[in-house]
Amino acid sequence: MAAVTGDSSKGSLRNRVVERVARTVAGDRLDKLQKRLEDLEAEVQENRQLNIRLAEVTDLVEQLLLPMAARDEEKIAAAIEKYSRTV
Amino acid sequence: MTAQVPISVSGVDDSGVHLTSAQDIVVDVLFDGRRIWSFWTVRDTEGDLAAWPRMLTRFLDGAATISVVEHLSGTVVFDEEVSLGSGQGRIAVVDAEGRPLGLDKSNRIVTTFDTRDAAHTTALLDSTEQLLDELRAAGVDAFPAYGTLLGAVREQDFIGHDSDVDLAYVSREKHPADVVRESFRLQRHLKERGYAVDRYSAAAFKVDVVEADGTVRGLDVFGGYFLDGMLYLMGEIGTPFEEEWIFPLGTCRLAGRTLPAPAVPEKLLEATYGPGWKVPDPAFHFETPRATHRRLNGWFRGNRVFRNEWDARYSGGVRDRVPSGGPSELARFVRQQEGQIDLLVDIGAGRGGDALWFARQGISTMTLDYAHGSSNGVRRLAESEGLDLDTSWLNLHELRSVMAQGARIARREGNVVLMGRHLVDSTDARGLDALVRLARMGLARGGRLYLELDVLRPGEAYVAGGRRDIVRPKDLHSVETALTGGGAVIVLSTRSEDTRASGEPARPVARLVAQWQR
Repeated sequence: MAAVTGDSSKGSLRNRVVERVARTVAGDRLDKLQKRLEDLEAEVQENRQLNIRLAEVTDLVEQLLLPMAARDEEKIAAAIEKYSRTV
Repeated sequence: MTAQVPISVSGVDDSGVHLTSAQDIVVDVLFDGRRIWSFWTVRDTEGDLAAWPRMLTRFLDGAATISVVEHLSGTVVFDEEVSLGSGQGRIAVVDAEGRPLGLDKSNRIVTTFDTRDAAHTTALLDSTEQLLDELRAAGVDAFPAYGTLLGAVREQDFIGHDSDVDLAYVSREKHPADVVRESFRLQRHLKERGYAVDRYSAAAFKVDVVEADGTVRGLDVFGGYFLDGMLYLMGEIGTPFEEEWIFPLGTCRLAGRTLPAPAVPEKLLEATYGPGWKVPDPAFHFETPRATHRRLNGWFRGNRVFRNEWDARYSGGVRDRVPSGGPSELARFVRQQEGQIDLLVDIGAGRGGDALWFARQGISTMTLDYAHGSSNGVRRLAESEGLDLDTSWLNLHELRSVMAQGARIARREGNVVLMGRHLVDSTDARGLDALVRLARMGLARGGRLYLELDVLRPGEAYVAGGRRDIVRPKDLHSVETALTGGGAVIVLSTRSEDTRASGEPARPVARLVAQWQR
C-alpha cells in the first residue's frame, strides 16, 4: 500500500536543535500550540467526512422522493428494493 | 552486458537475497528464467537481506535456478542453482490451475502481464473498451490511468510486471459531495446493467466484467476532480494541474487499440510517478504526501473498515459451503422467546446457518452481511428447497445501505425480529450507531432486536492482536448506552460468567434484547 510522508517524521539533528531552541523560548506555549493544531486537524477531518453523509442522504432522498410524490405504492416498493440492490 | 553494477549478491537462502549495494537500484529476481519479484537494493533491504515477501514464502520449497538481474541494464549479478526448504522437486510459483504467478509492485501475488497469452490480452482489452463505453454512456469520460496509462504512453503496451487495468475519470463536479453522488450514480448505472460493483471508497470502485470464456475480471475505476487549481484523483494524486491537461480527452495506443487518454498524458504520469516516469521501475511505491492522504481520506474514505479481513474469512470456497451443526444458542433463544415470527433478519449472518434453520421452519428470513456472497451456499440450498430466504448486502459504514435496508424491513407487516450474533463486537462505534439506526427504522412498528456479543471484564482494556483480530470484545455499558441513546428500551441484559464450569477462564458473553416504543 502507499507510504505516507510527513514533515514531522524527519528526526534530523537540525530539527532536534530547532525544537530545543523553540522550547526554551516558547516554553509550554509550544505544547499548547501543538495540541491545538492536532485538535484543528481532527476538526477539519470531521468536517470533510460530512461530505459523504450529505451525498448519501441526498442520493437516497432523490431516488425515493419521486415515487413517493407520485403516491404510487407499487413504485415506492420497487424504488426501495431497487435502491437497496444497487448500493 | 558490460555495465558496471554496484551490487554484490553473496547468496540466496530461506530468508531471502543477501547482498550489498552501493546504490539504490531496482533488481528483478528470476526463478528458472522467469521474473517473480522485484525490489530496490537499499530501500527494500535490512542489513544485507532483502527478505522474501510474505506472499511468496509458501512457494519456496524445492530447487530453482535463481537469478538476480539489474532491471534497467539486464546485467546478471547472481545466477545459481539454489535449494530452499526441503529442497525436494522444482519450485513452481503457479496457481491451482498451473498458471504462472509473480509479485506486482505492491508485493501481491498475481498473474502479471508478462506471462499472459494474446487471447488473454485481447479479452482484457475488450473488457476495458466495454467498461469505457459504459462509463461514457453514464456521463463521464474515463481513460486508462496509473500503470495502464504508463504502459500505453511509454511502451504502447501493458507493462510486463503489472497485473491489472486501472481506469480513471475526472469529474466536472466542483464539490466533493457532488463527486460522491456522481460515483453513486455510476455504480447504479453499472449495477442496473448487471455488473457486479465493489466500492473501494466513495469515489472509486471495482467493476467485474465477465469475459467470453466466463472469466470474471475486476477493473478498477478511480474518480477525481479539480479543486482550486489542484487535481485530486483517487487513490494517490493531489497536485497542481491545468484542466487543459485532461480535457478535451485525446487518445493513446494500448496493445494495438486506440483508447481515450488525458489531453497531455505525460503531465498525469509525472504527477503519478514523478519526473522519472520514463524509466521502468517494477518495484515502484507510491509516496502520498500527508496532506493529500488526509484530504482523500476525509472526503472519500472510511467505508471499508475490516472489509478485506471479512472477505478473506469467507474466501477459498467457505462461502459456498453450508455450515454443519445446529443453530446457535442465540437462535434457539430467539425461537423460545418469540411466538409467531413474520420476518427474521439475521444481521451479520455470515454463512447463514441460523437463517437456514429459521427458514426451514417456514419463517420468512433475511440475511444481511458485509462480506459479498458470504451465504452463497445457504442461498443456493434455500432456493432448491423453495424456502423464503433473502440474502442481501449491508455495510454499516454506508448510511445509504443502512437506510435502504432499514426501509425494506420497516415495510414488512407483523412481528419482525432482528438478531445479531457477534455483530456488535465485529464493528466499531460508528458501526454500532448505524446498527441502532437500522433497528430503529426496521422496528418502528414493533418487534425486538436480539444481540449476543463478547464483552470486556470490569476494568479490562482490550488490546487487539492485529488486523486479523476482528471480533473485539466491547464494554457492555457503552453498547447499552448506544442503544438507549438511539431510543431503545432494553428489556433484557444478561452476562455469562467469565469462568467455565471447569474453572478455566472464558470470555464473558452478553445477551441484549431491545425494542423501540411505538
